[in-house]
Amino acid sequence: MLTEENIDAKRWDGIYKLLDRSSLIHPDFQPIEEIKDFVKEAKILVIGAGGLGCEILKNLALSGFRDIHVIDMDTIDISNLNRQFLFRRADVGKSKAETAATFVNRRVQGVNVTPHFCKIQDKDEDFYSEFALIICGLDSIEARRWINATLVGMADPESPDTMKPLIDGGTEGFKGQARVILPRMTSCYECSMDMLSKPTGFPLCTIANTPRLPEHCIEWASVLEWPKVHGDRKADTDDPKDIQWLYETALARAKEFNIQGVTYSLTQGVVKNIIPAIASTNAIIAASCCNEALKIATTSAKYLDNYMMYTGNDSVYTYTFQHQRKDDCPVCGQSALKLEFRGDKTLEDFIEYLKEKPDAQLKKPSVAIGGKPLYMPAPKQLEEALRPNLEKTLKELLSSGDEITITDTTLPFSLQIVLTLV
Amino acid sequence: MDAKTQKYDRQLRLWGGNGQEALESAHILLVNASPVGCEVLKNLILPGIGQFTIVDAGTVALHDVGSNFFFDLESVGKSRAEKACEFLSELNEDAKGHWIKNDISTLLKEKPDFLDQFTIVMVSEVTQELATKIAKICWDHGKTTQAKKQISFVWVRTVGLIGAARIVTPEHTIVETHPDSVADLRIDSPFPELDAYWRTFDFDTQDNLEFGHIPYVAILLKFMDQWKKEHNGQTPSTYAEKNQLKALIRSGMRSADDENFEEALSSVLRSCQATVVPSSIKDLFSDPEVENLTAESIDFWVLVKALKEFVADTSKSAGLLPLSGTIPDMKAQTDSYVKLQSIYKAKAKQDAQVVAEITGRVLEKIGRPKNSIAFVDIEAFCKFSAFLKVVRHRSLESEYVEPKTEQIALHLADPDSVFVQYVLLRASDAFYGDHGRYPGENESWEEDVEHLQGNVATLLESWGVDKEAVSPERVHEICRYGMGAIHNIASLMGGVVSQEIIKVITRQYVPMNNTVLFDGAASVTGVFEL
Repeated sequence: MLTEENIDAKRWDGIYKLLDRSSLIHPDFQPIEEIKDFVKEAKILVIGAGGLGCEILKNLALSGFRDIHVIDMDTIDISNLNRQFLFRRADVGKSKAETAATFVNRRVQGVNVTPHFCKIQDKDEDFYSEFALIICGLDSIEARRWINATLVGMADPESPDTMKPLIDGGTEGFKGQARVILPRMTSCYECSMDMLSKPTGFPLCTIANTPRLPEHCIEWASVLEWPKVHGDRKADTDDPKDIQWLYETALARAKEFNIQGVTYSLTQGVVKNIIPAIASTNAIIAASCCNEALKIATTSAKYLDNYMMYTGNDSVYTYTFQHQRKDDCPVCGQSALKLEFRGDKTLEDFIEYLKEKPDAQLKKPSVAIGGKPLYMPAPKQLEEALRPNLEKTLKELLSSGDEITITDTTLPFSLQIVLTLV
Repeated sequence: MDAKTQKYDRQLRLWGGNGQEALESAHILLVNASPVGCEVLKNLILPGIGQFTIVDAGTVALHDVGSNFFFDLESVGKSRAEKACEFLSELNEDAKGHWIKNDISTLLKEKPDFLDQFTIVMVSEVTQELATKIAKICWDHGKTTQAKKQISFVWVRTVGLIGAARIVTPEHTIVETHPDSVADLRIDSPFPELDAYWRTFDFDTQDNLEFGHIPYVAILLKFMDQWKKEHNGQTPSTYAEKNQLKALIRSGMRSADDENFEEALSSVLRSCQATVVPSSIKDLFSDPEVENLTAESIDFWVLVKALKEFVADTSKSAGLLPLSGTIPDMKAQTDSYVKLQSIYKAKAKQDAQVVAEITGRVLEKIGRPKNSIAFVDIEAFCKFSAFLKVVRHRSLESEYVEPKTEQIALHLADPDSVFVQYVLLRASDAFYGDHGRYPGENESWEEDVEHLQGNVATLLESWGVDKEAVSPERVHEICRYGMGAIHNIASLMGGVVSQEIIKVITRQYVPMNNTVLFDGAASVTGVFEL
């Protein structure tokens, strides 16, 4: 008869060899029984149950973690099935978190995955403070910024329990990255915002007057024509009827201008901002994240410090490096962000500049000085009252060296900027 | 959009309908339902591989359940091949799974041509001896049949925190390498239609709106033309000369905000580079496959031959490759942009037609019908002709018999190189040869360190490399791993290997050559040509 311990020892043979045996490469590692208990008992949070999330849940369960939580607000779409392997055609429309949890609990006996079918913003600090470690498999910059700012905000260097390691993965096509963030100790997500590429957008005047690319025609259909024809009703990008309308409208415009290349698939890609995604890249990045999680939780080998980039287009290439903290990081930095801008430019110019700044990623920023708003995009009455400020030059509105505050719905914190007018 | 296009939408944006078709007609063999082998299959079944077959004589043990997602506790004692096939098949109804509960060596004795039906033969949890034997069958098959019928061989394994994979494809030709950009603007050597185009813009009389929308290509062509006239027909070559061209362009601006002029200025350095046939493509021209073209040659080499003749016929090609016909977006009015685009496209089509004519002649000469390569394929070949790629992997046998000792010494001289893991895996294979088991498998694992150290030394000596090149700590570490399978490492290698297999099957993007190593302790990978 096999006892439960015997079964465990055989089942987790590969990992237990790592945990039972000392290492000369990692001399600080102490192979003690408590480490195995810690793996069994530690509460781990997975954010996102999509392409990366499915992989992460599988990997954590097969790393011997038992108390795993997963949070995702999304439901399953047919286009997920080429990589989100815990879902089947019959699951389309169901909660990703719940379906994934049920599957893993059934397959890997002994594990208990708890689903949370909601937004990460619906949970408070008490919720997040229960976890030993958090792994993110998200496709949204906004959600990453939020969880990063929340975890950094919770971290008190005086009490180690409040420092929640955050392991973040991301993929796009054949490329991806995995990183380890130790709040207030290593560079955080916000420190690396300048590594993001500029948000793709097309100038309104190009879309309206001088279209050249099929994408310009699609943007015209969705940004300019849709509201004209449909009024307040927003296009539902998951509804084939709406996509069909946008496609046909874009196609007609393209014909008029002799532009080739408008297809249904491209229309969908542009209006939904679709990023190509495949199983293999997700597997690589998720496994890398979970490998780091197991190393951090067990101290059995040194963990990633702190960033690994992967590219698979041409051969297999990874670059592992230490991303540096930023002193003026608005989330974990020590000093205020300094910026120079021409004083004879208008507030509107400045706001446009902020929107295009890749490390800010703002959509509709509000600007205030000393608690007094200079411009706010909403509510309507306030916007109208402040609108004249947009035309004024910065020189008229403030003096050089003033500290201004930027807020935005996409920003989970306010951005303090010391503005020098030149 | 049909249901299949919806399901595969996110990948079709990477490899298109032709890549998908190639996947759907592929058949993959997995020898042994190891954790890493099943992970590779998972990542191929999901995107819709046509068929897969698992050959495994074993039954599911508890350690399989702890490291492989395609077994559960109830699978213990059942056939590994059958159970893995069952759970993997659930992933995608489009992929057809087969399983054979047998040992591959026995199977090959019964059916010597068993491997012939597969696109890819992947082995794991096999000895070096067996891997070499199977690799040789695949290699010889490729030599005796048309290159179209090659079988690619993959050997993948994980040991503790280490992962390794070796690919053997005797010859892999790629047209769609997916470079970042295929734009080829010919500013230094405009063809007549392009030269006529920029002259349609009157830089002096246009109003400011029109002037601000002159495409930057026309701006570059105009000022390049002026520069050439002033310099005996030469293009700027030195840094100083390129700056002079920039100054010339700047002098033509009406206001500092002319975006189109800014675009022109930022393209000066690139545009001054002479358009030439890249050396990598010239190398293809002198490839033995081109010299010795036969009716059995694959289309790729027929087209390279045609390309070579096209370039040689300077009256038609000016000694350059066919034009790609693609231009980037630029500030311009719709009409002038579309006009410019159509000029490049028309020239590309014209070039492709010339290449097609030559192809017809080449085909006839080798005894194939002159229209046996479709024009769309010739067009695509021409479009990507500057980026064609041929990857030739060495056989596994030559890796062992004729080791690249100079490169090996260089890799080992780098203390941070992940290459040391290769030495340890090879030494572990030698250890297996001595003991019939792998180092560190038993409770008394530390007793194996010394013997393995000896295997390492023997191996290094055989390469003529410093015996101390691998530290005792590292030898100790691989004994610590004791051949244990850790799922994270299996999953990571499963991702890497499936990605390489997709590249091989779709003939898109560029596969690695020929060994990838991952060290999960250091979180680094390396690719080595062995």
